[in-house]
Amino acid sequence: MSEVLIVEGLGKRFRRYHTYRPRTFMQVALSGLKKMQPLDSFWALREVSFAVLPGEVLGVLGRNGSGKSTLLRLIGGVGRAEEGKIWVNGRIGALLDMGAGFHNDLTGRENLNVSGLIAGLSKQQVREKFDTIVEFAEIEDFIDSPMRTYSSGMRMRLAFSIAIHNDPDLLLVDEHLSVGDIGFQTKCMNRIEAMRAGGCAIVLISQSPDQIETVCDRAILLNQGKIVAHDLPAKVAARYRDSQN
Amino acid sequence: MPKSKRYHRQTAQRTQKINQPALNQRIDLFTGLVDRSLKLLYNRSMLGIAWTLIKPLMQLIVFAIVFGSILEGGIPRYASFIFSGLIAWTWFQTSLTESAGSIVQNDVLIRQPGFPVAILPIVTVTTGLIHFLFSFPILILFLIIDGARLTPVLLLLPIILTIQAALITSFAYVLAAINVAFRDTQHTLNVLLQMLFYLSGIFYEVDSISEPYRTIVVLNPMVHIINAYRAVFIEGVQPDWMALGAIALLSAALLPIGYAIFQHQSFRFVEDL
Repeated sequence: MSEVLIVEGLGKRFRRYHTYRPRTFMQVALSGLKKMQPLDSFWALREVSFAVLPGEVLGVLGRNGSGKSTLLRLIGGVGRAEEGKIWVNGRIGALLDMGAGFHNDLTGRENLNVSGLIAGLSKQQVREKFDTIVEFAEIEDFIDSPMRTYSSGMRMRLAFSIAIHNDPDLLLVDEHLSVGDIGFQTKCMNRIEAMRAGGCAIVLISQSPDQIETVCDRAILLNQGKIVAHDLPAKVAARYRDSQN
Repeated sequence: MPKSKRYHRQTAQRTQKINQPALNQRIDLFTGLVDRSLKLLYNRSMLGIAWTLIKPLMQLIVFAIVFGSILEGGIPRYASFIFSGLIAWTWFQTSLTESAGSIVQNDVLIRQPGFPVAILPIVTVTTGLIHFLFSFPILILFLIIDGARLTPVLLLLPIILTIQAALITSFAYVLAAINVAFRDTQHTLNVLLQMLFYLSGIFYEVDSISEPYRTIVVLNPMVHIINAYRAVFIEGVQPDWMALGAIALLSAALLPIGYAIFQHQSFRFVEDL
């Protein structure tokens, strides 16, 4: 099989620290090094295993604090797991922390060039996709204006447009996908659907069982860091609704 | 505590064999980031470059007036002497101060999947290097005014530049990592650098210090780096290879350690939030 993503026995442990853990040299001098030690630890994820095929949309459902975001971050290579393995076959795209990383004093064009490189494109690829990205973001008239003149909507549209034009093999999507007005949202959903049809696998994390049911091919339910259900979206969503009541 | 250490050793592996970002993408990213920081530094104008050179020139004037009249015997070609020290020091200082914040301030980039975090201090050091090179024409102007002869030993410059870059980078990694745990590293660093500035022989000759203080001062690697620049620029002789070799070895030892701590801390940083 040619899975895009395989997660095997993944476990992530977080340490809990003292509330008044010193954060500066001055505080250490005043309160000593003792409070630097972790108090205890907990597993944010444990024994999580699954795989995603090209063109498949996997939904990860769970409440706040169930480990969804941690899972998505680990897949993206952000942070390090204590147990288990993650194989990623190809380039990762992420619709997670967007819009930041832009510099106010640079123009939209300059920011786009750098952000494209940060998203994993080469200079050549950024040049080729430049017009498409700008057109998609609907900021053609402002591309040579400094970023500080942009509205928050324009920033988000540009960030989103860069994020979904880096030809990922695996797209990580956070539930907060509400960028721009309805028209732009529809355009985004269409674009993501086109990417999926082109073989891009998608992992979507959500707290909404309805969203999981309509969008995904398969779903897992996370509870306190463990997979409690791994099935068709409708079944997983039903299980989640039951547990909520 | 022993428990958590044990877990650390079995750290999970993350493999990304196929389509590993090609080296040329990394190079593109690197040049893109350097280009961006130069644009921000100079405001996209030649005047911006001139503007950033005003500070060392002002310092030069102050030192030349204050110390030029006090120091006995006087140092020949004093303007070139101070300016060469000042610009080499500026590279060291600005790169370290800026790198110290590179994990904390670039949290967005660090959360970007696949972003090579370790590139950040290298970008800062490279930007500082380019800035340093931009001040060479002015240094050469001073050398000509002071009547120094430019000789072929100037061809050794790339070696000295490389050693200084390695030294700065290895410190930069360690400082950026410390700054994650102690957020006042940058402020503390500024005080330390201010002290070190006066102990680097920028406006006086280290050889003129009396023992036992001299032995302490020569432990400062910047003393030897600055002396090496002066050797090739002002005196037209070979630098002290023993001292430079020692610094190169120090950097070579420190660089992998600093890099490892940096990587570890950048992971911890995103988890701690």
